[in-house]
Parts: sequence; C-alpha cells; structure tokens
Amino acid sequence: MLQQKYSQYLEKILIGLLLLTIFNVFIDVLLRYVFSNSSIALQELEWHLFSSLFLLSIGYTLQADAHIRVDVFYAKFSPKKQALLNLVGLTIFVLPISLLSAYYGFDFAYQSFLLSEQSGDPGGLTHRFIIKSMISVSFILTIISALIFARKNYKVLAQ
Amino acid sequence: DEKKPSSKNQHSDKIYNLKLAETWPSNFPIFGDATKNFKKLAESMSNGRLKIRIDSKNKHKSALGIFDFVKSGQYDLGHSGSYYWKGKDINTLFFTSMPFGMITSEQRAWFEYGGGQELMDEVYGKHGLKSIIGGSTGNQMGGWFKKEINSVDDLKGLKMRIPGFAGEIMAEVGAKPVNIPAGELYTALDRGTIDALEWVGPSLDLRMGFHKVAPYYYTGWHEPGTELQFIINLKKYRSLPQDLQTILTTAMKLSAYQMYAQSEYESAKNWENMKKTYPNIQVKTFPQPVFDAMRAANQKLLKKLSANNPLAKKIIKSQSDFLQKARAWTAISDQAYLNSQSK
Amino acid sequence: MIGLIMFLLTLILLMAGFPVAFTFAGVAVIFGVFTQGVELFAFMPYRIMSIMQNTILMAVPLFIFMGIVLQKTKLAEQLLEAMGELFGKVRGGLAVSTILVGALLAASTGVVGASVVAMGVISLPVMLKNNYKKTLATGVICASGTLGQIIPPSIVLIILADVLGVPAGDLFKSAVLPSLVLVASYIFYVLIIAYLDKSSAPALQSKNHNLKKSQKYLTLIKAIVPPILLIVAVLGSIFSGIATPTESAAMGAVGAVLLAVIYQRLSWQMLHAASVETIKVTAMIFAILIGATAFSLVFTYNGGDILVEDFIHSLPAKEMSFILISMAIILILGFFIDFVEISLIIVPIFYPIALSLGIDMSWFAILIAMNLQASFLTPPFGFSLFYLKGVAPKSVQTTDIYQGVIPFIIIQVAVLLSLIIFPTWYGFSSF
Ligand code: NA
Ligand code: NA
Repeated sequence: MLQQKYSQYLEKILIGLLLLTIFNVFIDVLLRYVFSNSSIALQELEWHLFSSLFLLSIGYTLQADAHIRVDVFYAKFSPKKQALLNLVGLTIFVLPISLLSAYYGFDFAYQSFLLSEQSGDPGGLTHRFIIKSMISVSFILTIISALIFARKNYKVLAQ
Repeated sequence: DEKKPSSKNQHSDKIYNLKLAETWPSNFPIFGDATKNFKKLAESMSNGRLKIRIDSKNKHKSALGIFDFVKSGQYDLGHSGSYYWKGKDINTLFFTSMPFGMITSEQRAWFEYGGGQELMDEVYGKHGLKSIIGGSTGNQMGGWFKKEINSVDDLKGLKMRIPGFAGEIMAEVGAKPVNIPAGELYTALDRGTIDALEWVGPSLDLRMGFHKVAPYYYTGWHEPGTELQFIINLKKYRSLPQDLQTILTTAMKLSAYQMYAQSEYESAKNWENMKKTYPNIQVKTFPQPVFDAMRAANQKLLKKLSANNPLAKKIIKSQSDFLQKARAWTAISDQAYLNSQSK
Repeated sequence: MIGLIMFLLTLILLMAGFPVAFTFAGVAVIFGVFTQGVELFAFMPYRIMSIMQNTILMAVPLFIFMGIVLQKTKLAEQLLEAMGELFGKVRGGLAVSTILVGALLAASTGVVGASVVAMGVISLPVMLKNNYKKTLATGVICASGTLGQIIPPSIVLIILADVLGVPAGDLFKSAVLPSLVLVASYIFYVLIIAYLDKSSAPALQSKNHNLKKSQKYLTLIKAIVPPILLIVAVLGSIFSGIATPTESAAMGAVGAVLLAVIYQRLSWQMLHAASVETIKVTAMIFAILIGATAFSLVFTYNGGDILVEDFIHSLPAKEMSFILISMAIILILGFFIDFVEISLIIVPIFYPIALSLGIDMSWFAILIAMNLQASFLTPPFGFSLFYLKGVAPKSVQTTDIYQGVIPFIIIQVAVLLSLIIFPTWYGFSSF
C-alpha cells in the first residue's frame, strides 16, 4: 500500500517535472523570439527542472526494473536465479554508491547553504543549495526504491 | 649539538606533494600554460622538494568547483578566476577586473603596493584560503556584435551572452543577457538567436569562429585587465616550511608575469592574423553617450554593493582611490606617449 | 594497471546482467575505496553537478518525448505504411521505408534512444507480419534508428564541436553528405538482399488496393505531410534563429503534442503513458552517465588517464597512421564504453595530437561521429541493441538482433573508410 502510494506520488512529480521542463524551454524561446525579452532566472530554471527530473527518476526506474541490462545470459536465468542476482547487485552495487553520494551530496549542499550561494549571472536564481540538495535526495530515493525492489526479489526467492 | 644540522637536513629533504585543480581543460592555451610554468618553476626552485600535480577539468570534471575543492582540502591549490565565486561570496568579485576599472599595470601596482593583496587576504582568509595573482589576459575585447551600436537605444532589447557583473550593467542599460552553452554559441550568433556575445580577445576568440558571423568587434570596457588567480588552502600552506611557502608564492607570481607576456604576444600575433585573413572585421568603439550610460549603471550597481557590506565598501573605495591616483600618472605617461605616437 | 583490471572486471560483470549503470558505479566504489579511500567519492556531487548543468543534455528527454508522442499517436506508423504502399510489388519496400523514416526522424531528433524505440514499436511488428526475416528487420531498425547520431542535429556532433573547438553549425553542415551516403548504402544493401533472397523481405500486401488512385494518393499525403511538417518546424527553428539546437527539441515536443491535438489523438492516457516512458528512458540514460562518471573518477584518479594518454602518445605521429589507429581505438572502445564518455575522455586526448598534425577538425569530428555511430550497433553493449530488445516481441532473441546488425556495421565501416581515404569527395581538406 505504502509502496504503491510512494511510487504513485513520485510518478506524479516526475511527470510534472517533465512537462514543466518542456513548457519552460518553449516559453523561453517564445519570450526571446517574439517579445525580444529574456530572463536569466527562467533560463536557469530550465536546468533546475531538467536535472531534478533525471535525478529523481533513477530510483523510480530501478523500482520498475527498467534500467538497461546486458541480458544475453540474464534472460535465460530462472526467476529465482534472476532474483538472487538482483539481491546481490542491489547490495554490493546500488547501496554503496547511493550511500556515498547521498552522504557527500549532503555536505555539498550544506556548504552552499552556509554561503547563501546564488547564481553569479545577472538576475539569476538564489538559494543554489536547493538544487544542489537534489543529489542527496535522488540517492535517498534510490535507496528506498532499492529496498522495495529487493523485497520484491526476496519474495520470488522465498517461494 | 653535532646531530642538529643533519636532522635539519633530513627535514629539508622532505618532499611535499601538492595537488592543483584548474578550471581549464587540459592543454588549454595560455591559461593552462600558466599552471605548467608554475609547476616547473616551483619544482626546480625547491630543488624537487615541492612536487605539483595538475588536474585539469578533463579529470576533475568541475570547472567551477575549484573554490570548494581547495577550501575543503580535496585539492591544495587551484587556478581559476576570482570573479567566478561572486555567487558564493560577493567580495571575491573585485579581484579579477572591474568594468571601467584599472588596466593590468595599474591593478598590479594596487595588488603589490596599494593594499590590494591585504584586502584579498581578508576576503579569502575567511574561507581558509589564500589568493595570489595568476596571470593577466590584458585588456579584453567588448565582444562580437551583429549590428553597430550607435546609441543607448541600440542596446535596448539587445540579446547578448555576457555573464557576471558586466552582464548586470548591460541589463541595467536595457540589454537582455542570455545564457547559451559554449558549444552552441556559434550557431546562436550565426542564426541571430543572439545579437552579440563577449568572449576574451584575439588570443582565444579566433578558434571560436565568431568573426565569420558577426562583423563588428567592439573594444573593451568591462574587463580592462583580467587577472586570473591561484588559490591555496591556508592550512596546507602553513604546514609547509617557510622557504617553500616563499617559493610557492614566488613561482605563482612569476608564472603570472609570464602569462601576461604570453597573452600580449598571442593577442598581437592573432590580431595580425585575423586582420589579414578576415579584412571584413570592423573594430568599433561604443560612442561616448553609451559609455556614459554604462558608467552610470556601474556606479549605481557599485553603490548597491556597498550598501550593506562594509568590506565591499572598503574594497571599492580602495580601488577607486587608487585608480584616480594611478590614472593621473598613466595619463601623462603611457597615454600621452601613445597619443603622441598614433598621430 | 589498476585501471586495466577494473576495466576488464567491469566487462565480465556486465555480462552477468545486473543494470549497466549500477555495475559501473558499483565496481567504481569497490576499487575506489580500496585504492584511494572513501573520501575520493566526495568528488561525486561535483561530477553529478556538471551533468546537471550541461544544458545541452536537456535535449535528451525532450526529443525522446517527441518520438514517443509520435509513436503513441500512430502518426509515425501511418507515415511508414503509406511509404511502404509506394513500393507496390518491389521486394524490400517496407525495409527501405523504415530506413527513410529513420532518416527523417533522425533529422528531427538527435537522440538514438527515441528513434530506435519508436521504429521498433512501429515497424518491427509490421515487418514481422509481412514475413520479413527477424535478423533483417531488427538490423534495419537498429541501423536506421541510429542515424540520428550523424544526421544533424545530433548530440554527438554538439559534444564533439565543444571538445574539438569547431563550431557546431559547421559540423552540422559537414555531416550532411556523409549521412546521405550512409543512408543510400543501407537502402542499396536492403534492395540487393531482397533481390537475392526472396524470403528475406517480401513485398507488402496492400490494404488500399480497392481504393481509387486519387483516394490512394490522398491517404498517402495525409499520412506523410504532418510528420514532415514537424521536422520542418524543428529544423526550421534552428536555421531561422528562433531556437538553439537544444531548444529546438522543446519545439519538437510541443509540436508533436500540437499534431496530436489537430488529429484529435490527444488524451490524458496518451500523455501519461508517453511521459512515463520518457521518464524511464531518460533515467536509464542519465543513470549510465552517472555510473560512467563514477567509473572514470576511479579510473583517472588511479592513473588510468595517464595509462591511456601514454599509450596514445606512443603512437606514431604520422597523419594517416594516427587517423587509422585513433579510429581503431575508438571503434574497439565503442564496443564497451558509451559514446558520451568516449567523446569526453578519449577524444580530448587525441585532440592536441590532431591539432599538432594540422588535421581538419571538422573531418576528424565526422570520422569520430561515424565511428561512434557504429559503436551504438556493436554487440554486446551497443545501446541501440538494448533499446530495441526493450520493445521487441518475445519471439525476437537478443542473438537475432546481434546477427542482424552485423551487415550494417560492415557498411558503416566501409563508409568510414571511404571518408578516410577520399576526404575530398565529402568536401574535407583532411590534413
Ligand atoms: Na571575457
Ligand atoms: Na539527428
């Protein structure tokens, strides 16, 4: 139940980010070409939205088991063998990089917060720490998704 | 007592390995040569007791991470530009080059004798850093324009790629600063997606190809003497023996000296080349009313910076006082000489 | 040395079948922690931040979205079938149409994933239904779906323009002729195979043979015009200066949605499904970029960069031997490493040598792009192969796809060789 809610909310946020990214770039083009106007803040918002989109989508896609695999052998494995491989991979591959990136990502954002870092360009966005903290958030979500995916695989293995 | 000299010798044989991160990609001309020269000088002056490893952007992948790298100690040294850190600490803005500010000879006099280094120490000390001059590009060009600028009105709505503080001045007089990634700048200028852009000067502009798509090359106003910077992690610096500290900063200043000479040489050479190969390039200077408007905008923005920031106020005052003094001398020396020669 | 061991171990572990992105990152952490300590990974946020601020990559989700909307609204499928009709009783017509549509899609997207996925969904079932051989069908789709790599606008050309210091606009122009030759070679090959082997690509059974000629042409025009209009809009927005190449991707995305509105095929479900698919493809691409940057972090900080650099610098510094060896290295590395990593790690090492040899950088860039395109197709790790497998029916085996692309890789290498040997044919000055 809780898992379903989690991935539903995440999906909604991701769709929102995708459509907003498209809309934002489109608006910036329109503004510049039709109205001879331009806003650095709006242009910076483009990469804020786009990078949030791909960062937050990594865990979501892991949970949906849609990341690219070399499946020449994997496709021939029995479901149990596949589940075992996934559990091992989640433990030794996914968790360590996620923990390290989340940990160092926190300090990365925190330093930015302490300096009240902002864009150096005219009319750019302030509060740079928010977008920097998306790195930590992304890997924390990846860990949560990894746990959900692990549970799914464990069930297959335990059958 | 007899043991003392030998233990001292042992101490002085110790090798210190320092890592330097630079903003530039590997083999980047001129800017990258500055760090290579620095490494060579520091290693040979210290008789091999200093070992410097240079990591370019290709390796650390973060052109604008240098400040944080050196601050956190992930690197001991950095080579970059002070004004890149204005979003982290606005007071770092003043140590590269200011619009309508000092030219390289004046600014270096300010750094060495006019209190500039002390102010820079005060700003960077707060972050556990020390900054030393890192090489001047000389006067930078005002940029490539697709159409002529004859009045302040021509700047209104002008779509221009011009980052940082200079971009704020342009915005203040009615231009529209635009962010375009470096890889797409040429296409954007060619197709009229933007009307103008600023880059560096003949030393680096030729390889970008802007002269093929924008005929007007405007003379500079916003970066009259762009000085790059070395940064040093203070904790690391203080852990070095006194003589190595001196060698380190001396090697930095010496490579800064070399880079300025190299920039002047490359600019002269490339400009001669550009003129010959592309005779259609038209060098222009903004008319006086345009400069007046930009100068007023500059004053207004500087006043805003001073408002709630005593240190910024101190730096701005120091710079403008020194500029006044130095410029009076430049006027009757270099300027008078050049004027007398040009007619 | 550590770099080399790490590299080989990763290749072996990838075969086990755990997601590529996390295998890269996982091996990196294991090696990184043992050789350099945990603190090495304090660099990770900076590297990720560089990907985040690389706004050129923004074209990835935007173009994928456009491709998937075209697919979901069946606009691309109509186009394909209409073109197949034009071939009448000539064998191989459907495959040639697939190649042409692939080329058109390629001219409006710079992203391989989008067009391979779209082509796979649209044309694979149609070709299989018409008794095409699985190997030929999958080979055609992978090859034509990958054309987006070289036909402008293309992400790889934009990245190479930056790395090699050539204006992207110049590269786009230089890429046109080589791309046309490549497309023509694909078509030529398909027609010959269809002629020699009657069972490989039978002629299409027309659905419209009851219709009058005029009606037939009307359906054709209705099917062909809208996607072409979209392509004109995207390319036109770049050429007229309305948008940068990256921004044109958003014009394409909005344009595809507008087409869906005009043809009354826009629904919330369609938009939702297209978004979710876009998000997944985006995630898989960016997860690999992040995994690869973790890998190269550990690789370079263990001296792997110096290893590669020393090797490259030990190569003979003669123009032709440099070109041949650098192309061989990129082709071999392309079997294993992603094109973005090659463009950003390997090419910068070649750059100063090419510069000192006075090699025409536009030519060098097109050679690399053509080469990297082959890398999308090379088993076992070619991206196009993964993407197609992801959407192909169960009856299509990974090995069918591996077999199917081989002739197209050979064509690719042949065109590459012609570019190397006869640069002036294509308007380059070589040295
Ligand atoms: Na500049
Ligand atoms: Na393309």
